[in-house]
Amino acid sequence: MLDYEKIKKDFLLVSKQIKGKPIVYFDNACMSLKPRQVIDAMNEYYFEFPACSGRSSHKLGEIVTKKVREARQIIAKFINAGEQEIVFTRNTTEAINLLAHTFPWVKGDLVLTTDKEHNSNLIPWQMLVKNKGIRHRVVKSKDDGTFDLEKYKELAKEARLISMVYTSNLDGTTIPAKEIIKIAHENGALVFLDAAQSAPHKKIDAKDLDVDFLAFSGHKMLGPTGTGVFYAKYSLLEKLEPFMVGGDTVEYSTYTKHEMLKAPEKFEAGLQDYAGIIGLGEAVKYLEAVGFDSIKKQEYELNKYITDELSRWPKIKIIGPGDPALRSGIISFYIDGVDMHQFALMLDEMSNIMIRSGQHCVHSWFNDKKIYNSARVSLYFYNSLEEASVFINSLDKIMKII
Amino acid sequence: MICIVALIIFSILGIFSATHRQMAKEALDCVFRRVTLRPCNTGFKEKIKSHMVAKLLNRSTFLARAFNRYYEVFAWIFFILMIASTFYVVKGGYNYYLYGSCNGLNQSGFCAFDPKGENNKVTEINASCGIEEKSEKNVSLDGVDLSSFPTKQVGAKDTIVLIGCYECDYTRKAYPDIQKLVREKKTNYIFAHYPAKENTNFLSEVGYCVYKEYGDRFWSFNDYLFTVDKVEIYQSEYINTILKNFDFDISKINDCVNDSATKEAVTNQVNQLRKTHLYGTPTVFINGKAFVGPKPYRVYKSVLNKFIIF
Repeated sequence: MLDYEKIKKDFLLVSKQIKGKPIVYFDNACMSLKPRQVIDAMNEYYFEFPACSGRSSHKLGEIVTKKVREARQIIAKFINAGEQEIVFTRNTTEAINLLAHTFPWVKGDLVLTTDKEHNSNLIPWQMLVKNKGIRHRVVKSKDDGTFDLEKYKELAKEARLISMVYTSNLDGTTIPAKEIIKIAHENGALVFLDAAQSAPHKKIDAKDLDVDFLAFSGHKMLGPTGTGVFYAKYSLLEKLEPFMVGGDTVEYSTYTKHEMLKAPEKFEAGLQDYAGIIGLGEAVKYLEAVGFDSIKKQEYELNKYITDELSRWPKIKIIGPGDPALRSGIISFYIDGVDMHQFALMLDEMSNIMIRSGQHCVHSWFNDKKIYNSARVSLYFYNSLEEASVFINSLDKIMKII
Repeated sequence: MICIVALIIFSILGIFSATHRQMAKEALDCVFRRVTLRPCNTGFKEKIKSHMVAKLLNRSTFLARAFNRYYEVFAWIFFILMIASTFYVVKGGYNYYLYGSCNGLNQSGFCAFDPKGENNKVTEINASCGIEEKSEKNVSLDGVDLSSFPTKQVGAKDTIVLIGCYECDYTRKAYPDIQKLVREKKTNYIFAHYPAKENTNFLSEVGYCVYKEYGDRFWSFNDYLFTVDKVEIYQSEYINTILKNFDFDISKINDCVNDSATKEAVTNQVNQLRKTHLYGTPTVFINGKAFVGPKPYRVYKSVLNKFIIF
C-alpha cells in the first residue's frame, strides 16, 4: 500500500503549483520525478566528498570509491546480477551503442528487433548494416500490438543477436522476454533487452531471464539524468573489446602498449558521473522500498480508470492492446485529423497537465502505420486518481471543441 | 499569418521580457522558414494556437470551438488588423515627428507620444472676440494685411509670423523656439501681439509705439516681455519702469499710446488678425502654413527643410 503523504513529502513537485494550479506530471516514460533522497545523496557527494573514485587514495577518494561500489552493488542486486556485470553508462542509448560497437560482428550477421523500437535500438543496427554489412530484420507485432511469437520463431533461426525493447515506450506492451530468450538460445543467438521502460516498473531478474545483455536508464526510474546501466553476462562482457578507452581503463601503459583492466572498468573510460551513480543507487533503494507490487497496482488502477474514461469518446484511438493490464503505465492515443501536439499543449496550458506528444522516438512505427502523431500519458506510482480525474475533466473540455 | 503577427508582438514585448524574447526568436524562425518557402514545422504555430484555445476553453467552450475551427480566418483578421494598426502607428509617429501631433497638423485628438496634448494646447480666444469657428482649416493669412506689425529681415526667402500673447503660457513656451528658428534660418519675421486674455490689451499699443518710435530696438523689448515674470506685465503701472530700463523716452511712448491714431491703428491690427480666423495663441505661420499651439522645435524647422511627405 502506497503512503501518499510520504510520497508528497519526498517528491516536492507533486505538491507544487504553477499559476495556482497543481502540476499533473504524466510524462514519466520520458523522465521520472526525483525523490528528495536522491537529490540529497547527490548533494552529499558535492558537499561532503567531491573527489575521484578508484584512483585517489586520500580520505575523500576512499569515501567516493566506497559509495560508488555500494551503488554498483545495489544496482547489481536490483537486477540479480553480479557486481562485475554492471557497466555504468550515460543512458540506455549509450549502452546500446556500446554493444553495437564492441560486438564481434561477422558480415551477414542478422539482428532482429521488434517493430516498436525506440530510435536508440534501431539506428545503431541500421548504421551497422551500412558500415559492417550485417542484416537487420523486424518482427512485426500482431494487430492488437502484442508480440508475434510465431513470426519470431521463424526469423530467430538465422539471428546472431536479438535486440528488443522489453517494455515499449510507445504503447507499454511487454514482450514475452523469457520465451524469446529461450528460443534465441536454442538457435544459438544472443539477446539484448532494452529495459528502459521496464526497470522502473517491474522486477527484473537477469539470471532468471537468462538474458545476455540488458540496459536501462537512471532518469526514468527516479535517478539522475546522465546515468544508465549496461548489463552483460560476465563471460560475454570479458570478450567485448571496449570502443572508448583512456583514463581508468588500463592496468598500465608504456609508449607502445597497454594492459586493459578487467570488465567493467575497461568500459568506463574517463572520470565518471559519481554524483549520478550514487544518486542512482539511492533511486534503486527508494524503488525497492516502495515495492514493485505497489507500483504495478497503482499504475494499473490509474491506467484502467483513464482507459475506461477514454472509451467514452469513440474518436480516441488507443495504441496497443485495449486491456490496460497489458500496457504498463502507458496510454498512447490519437484522434484522426488532430495534431496531438496541440492537444498536449492545451492540456498543459489549461491545467498544467504534462504529457508527451509526437512520435516518441518511434518514428518508424508511425511512418509504417501512417499515423501523424500521438499523445502519451505515462504514469508512475506517485500519480494519483485525483490527478487522473483532472486529466479526464480537461480532456472532456477539449473533446467538446474538436 | 499568426507567425508574423506573433513576431511583431513578441518583438515588442521582448524588449521588456526574456520569455517573450525567446518567443520572438521562435516566431522569427517560423517566418524565415515560410519566407524561404519551407513549411513552418517548428511547432510554433501549434504552440500559439494551443495557448489561445486553451485560455478560451477555460472561459467559454463556444468561443474556444469557434477559434479552434476558424483559426486561419482569425489569423488573417489579426494579420490585417496588425497591418492596419501598424500603418496608423507609423503614420502617427510620422505625424508626431513632423507636426507634434499623431493625428496631423493642429489635430488635437489623443496621441500616445504626447498624451497630455501639450503640443496642441492654446490659450483660447473667447467667443466674444468674434471668432467664427474653431477650426484649423480656416486659419489662414489670406487677405490679411500685416504691414503694420513689427517686421525684421525683410526680403528673406522664408517668412515666419508669430501671433501670440505676452501673458499666455503656450505662447511663452513657443517663443524661444521661434526666435531660434528666425535666428538660425535668417527668415523674415513678423510679430503680432494678440491679447487672448485681454489683461494685456494695453501692451499692444505700447508695443506698437515702441516699434514705431525705436524700430529694431523693439525686438529686445519684446523678448523681455515674453521672458519676464507675468506679474510684471499684468499691471500697466509697471510698464513705465520697463520702458525706463530699456532707456526709452517714457513720455514719448505715453504720448504715442494716448494718441487716437495709435488706438485706431491697433484696432485695425486686431481686426486684421481676426481675419486669420485664429482661435488661440500661439498661432505661427511659416510660409503661410498655420501651426496652432506650441510645437516642438523640430516641427517648425522641418517646414523650412521641406521635409513634409504627406
